Amino acid sequence: MSEGRHTAALRTLWIGVILAFLYIPIVSVVLASLANTRYMRFPHRVWSVDAYRDALGSFTTWQLHTISLSIAVSVVIVSTVLGTLGAVAFARYDWRGRRWFQRLLVLPIFFPQPVLGLALLLSFTAVGISPSWKTAVVAHLVWIVPIVTLMISVRFFGYNVAQEEAAYDLGATHFQVVREITLPQIWPGVFSGILFGFLLSWSNLPLSVFTSGPDTPLPVWRFTRTATNYSPLVPSVAVIGTVVSALIVIGAALLLWAYSRVRAPAR
Amino acid sequence: MPERTFELTSAFTVENYATAFTEGYARPLMWSLIGAVMTTAICAVLAWPSAVILHRHAGRWATVVAALIALPIFISESVRLFGMSVFMMPRGGILAGTLNAVFGIQIGSILNTSSAALVGMVYIHLPFMLFPLLLGISLIPMDRIEAAKDLGANRWQVFREVELPLAAPGLTIGALLTFVLCIGANAEAAILGGRSVTVITTAIEQRFSFAQDWPMGAALTVLVIAITAAIVLPVLAKLDLNRLTRR
Repeated sequence: MSEGRHTAALRTLWIGVILAFLYIPIVSVVLASLANTRYMRFPHRVWSVDAYRDALGSFTTWQLHTISLSIAVSVVIVSTVLGTLGAVAFARYDWRGRRWFQRLLVLPIFFPQPVLGLALLLSFTAVGISPSWKTAVVAHLVWIVPIVTLMISVRFFGYNVAQEEAAYDLGATHFQVVREITLPQIWPGVFSGILFGFLLSWSNLPLSVFTSGPDTPLPVWRFTRTATNYSPLVPSVAVIGTVVSALIVIGAALLLWAYSRVRAPAR
Repeated sequence: MPERTFELTSAFTVENYATAFTEGYARPLMWSLIGAVMTTAICAVLAWPSAVILHRHAGRWATVVAALIALPIFISESVRLFGMSVFMMPRGGILAGTLNAVFGIQIGSILNTSSAALVGMVYIHLPFMLFPLLLGISLIPMDRIEAAKDLGANRWQVFREVELPLAAPGLTIGALLTFVLCIGANAEAAILGGRSVTVITTAIEQRFSFAQDWPMGAALTVLVIAITAAIVLPVLAKLDLNRLTRR
């Protein structure tokens, strides 16, 4: 059937086009970083990795990454703890006012982020706190905690409460139930919460612009340099930043996987 | 509250809400709303066939392709939009430069127009539509489609009467997600749209920063949240999360 072959080819073509659409900009960033001229003139006359050498040699690059990393790690720790506890209230227990809690929690996600950042900056200055990377952590948390909470809550919708009761009946203490029953069940949700918390904080621009003060995280630096003082350093730092975040995420995933492998036979 | 003042004790007024419509804020608001609606629609049109192909025809490639589509989400939005602008740049851009060097064709550029902003919006939000829709498509049992075909339904009828209602939950979640993200989006318009588009979040930001007109900025913010809530909450109430997750 020749028509069947045509449609199969068309399907492959369609998926190919969609993938090309998604990957062209990423490839473009890499291509742009391989120039050594200030003005973008593609195809480059000279292909070079000078920008990468400059980026790795400069103190600014390290500083940017340290600030972004401090913010992201703090955000992950706080948002995972708050998100897990929040998810228990959100989905596990039925209590008076739960519907209102659910609605109030989702509200910050709808709030336009640049405005949220600005409003937080105004409140910080009103209270007399000068902005630094620590205030940026607070700002990120306002937006990321609800998202992490929702991600963990999804696990609770398929959760069987009877398991906990059975454990209690068999004489388990409260701590044991949490450790042996509840946490393993919601673990995939917690894990994706950690992952998304990190990546959302790492790449956040609108909140950081207003609240990070004199400390500049990566996206803010990238944004200002693209607007005012472009050079191939910008795409090369973008590539480095992306690689660093990918390595951190993959490393964390491997560590957790290894940990679960070590723990598994004990149970 | 009157312009250029900020005091909680001063007289309350709803004047700002009236002014919001008379003084040209309707335009950025419309940009954001139309942009969000169009992005949602275009994403749905692009994502539907992709989801169908991935679910029914891709076979063992499905996981690989899905992973490839998901991967860019993990790269910072501003990096990807920057890449898009480098690609679209006139003359020395990746596309224009390549066409000129290889084929000798000179082309214009859509960078700094509203179309470029729209392309950027679709580009950023496509995965957010595709994955919920994939869930929706997988809710359609194949034998239903076979049955409808046996009973004499044509393609359009199968799509409208069988596939669309059954995939509706996935489509709704995807549409909601895309829409809400688009209303708040401003990076696409700033990086790709240049000065040709002012979306509502940018307008609000300008009220707060350059214009020092906080009351108006606050009124616009409330307006945006109210509009978003008015669209999202009724849809959300109809959506049965428990039924979807229990599957």
